[in-house]
Amino acid sequence: MSLTQKGRWITVVALVCLAAVYVRALAFTPVERLQGPAQKIFYLHVPAALWTEAAMILVGLAGIFYLFLKDPRLDRFAEASAEVGTVFATIVLTTGPIWGKPIWGTWWTWDARLTSTLLLFFLYVGYLLVRGAVRDPGLRARYAAVLGICGMCLVPFIHLSVFLFRTLHPQPIILKPSAPSLPSSMLATWLFSLVAFTLLYVGFVTQRYALSLARDAQCGGSPGHA
Amino acid sequence: MGELLAQAWTVARKDLVLEFRTRTALVSAVVFTALVLTVFNFGRDPTAVPTIDLAPTILWVTFTFAAMLALNRAFQLELENQALEGLLVSPLSRTSLYWGKLIANLVFVGVVEAVGLPLFVLFFDVPVGRVLLPLIGVIVLATLGFVAVGTLFSALVIRTRFAELLLVVILLPFLVPPLIGAVQVTARLLGGRPLSESVGYLKLLAAYDIVFVSLASFLFRFTVDE
Amino acid sequence: MPDVPQNAGYMVAAYIVTAVILLGYAVSLYRRTDKP
Repeated sequence: MSLTQKGRWITVVALVCLAAVYVRALAFTPVERLQGPAQKIFYLHVPAALWTEAAMILVGLAGIFYLFLKDPRLDRFAEASAEVGTVFATIVLTTGPIWGKPIWGTWWTWDARLTSTLLLFFLYVGYLLVRGAVRDPGLRARYAAVLGICGMCLVPFIHLSVFLFRTLHPQPIILKPSAPSLPSSMLATWLFSLVAFTLLYVGFVTQRYALSLARDAQCGGSPGHA
Repeated sequence: MGELLAQAWTVARKDLVLEFRTRTALVSAVVFTALVLTVFNFGRDPTAVPTIDLAPTILWVTFTFAAMLALNRAFQLELENQALEGLLVSPLSRTSLYWGKLIANLVFVGVVEAVGLPLFVLFFDVPVGRVLLPLIGVIVLATLGFVAVGTLFSALVIRTRFAELLLVVILLPFLVPPLIGAVQVTARLLGGRPLSESVGYLKLLAAYDIVFVSLASFLFRFTVDE
Repeated sequence: MPDVPQNAGYMVAAYIVTAVILLGYAVSLYRRTDKP
């Protein structure tokens, strides 16, 4: 089975898993008393946010290893992870406002998660733009690695600065969308969703990686060969 | 270490001599800063919002623009004079090359800020007297962070298409954490709050500087080597 | 005890948007890897 096919199968399984999560979340998970049905957006929003961040860290790690090992596979992986990370960021940035409107009365709020994800989104876009702007594969891989590493190192600072800034503004007291203590059925739904998103990440990255591999083979241009 | 500094200073001096010989870029940057401050005046209603509330924002947006201008001009110089190739062939280490550029950029931005700050105080009648020293301290900390990352990215975009646009797009997300720190500390200083209230943000700025100056200095070689 | 808010419409909207984005990307990948 080729890499593309493996990727497709994983994605199919992931999508089926997601469908199951949908059913469970919508029909079999209790409605949260204070927030109402809109709270269920949480089951999609948070796993997507976690993977948006994880994907960026993986881009950075791949970058570090690439600079030392010069293995083009690492660069292809980074490219794939960045694209998938952007997709997940889009999910967070669209479901966030849809959740925010009924809960906080406003479409956008500079809360920690949305703000961090917005910055991550900009990092991803910048990363992909730089990749698109460099012709030579070796140069592109190196530049991307540098930017990816910087992006990964920025993540803790994003969290720190957003956290410090946030403590100025009182958070909604009753409605805390990321309440740490969930009843077990809600927690289970959330975990299933996390599994689904993990599978989606793996399936998507595998396919995107295969695409990159096919393109490199065609053009005969692989980075990392001096 | 001494060798590093000596080489760095050679690089910096070359840039600065070029800069001060023509003075065009410097004068333009200073005039630009003054214009931005002027425009800010027309963008507000002094009867509705007290100037002091907007002051930190005005100052830092202006300084961010000034830093971006400085960085743009930095690599323009290289591009025009094909000087980069010359430098790379020379026996200078990549790290001292970075430090040289960093110093030159810092001097340039420093001069612009040294003119911009008094203008800001004048135009907006900002009471900086008693907090001048801490304010300068914050300005130094934040500017170092901006310019450290900016110097690295300037080198990165040199061989890309649409370099100036790309520089702005990839750099701005990196400026957000130090910007948050700088604005918050400035606001507290101007509001007469004790320095102890700004400690968290100051630590953020310091940590950012330490991490990104080291990181940029290390990664610089990957943006210039073949 | 206050009533549970009636905001199911938002929930549905978010679930649909997410599905559209994910399915859209899955299809895009499928098509891109079909014709290299």
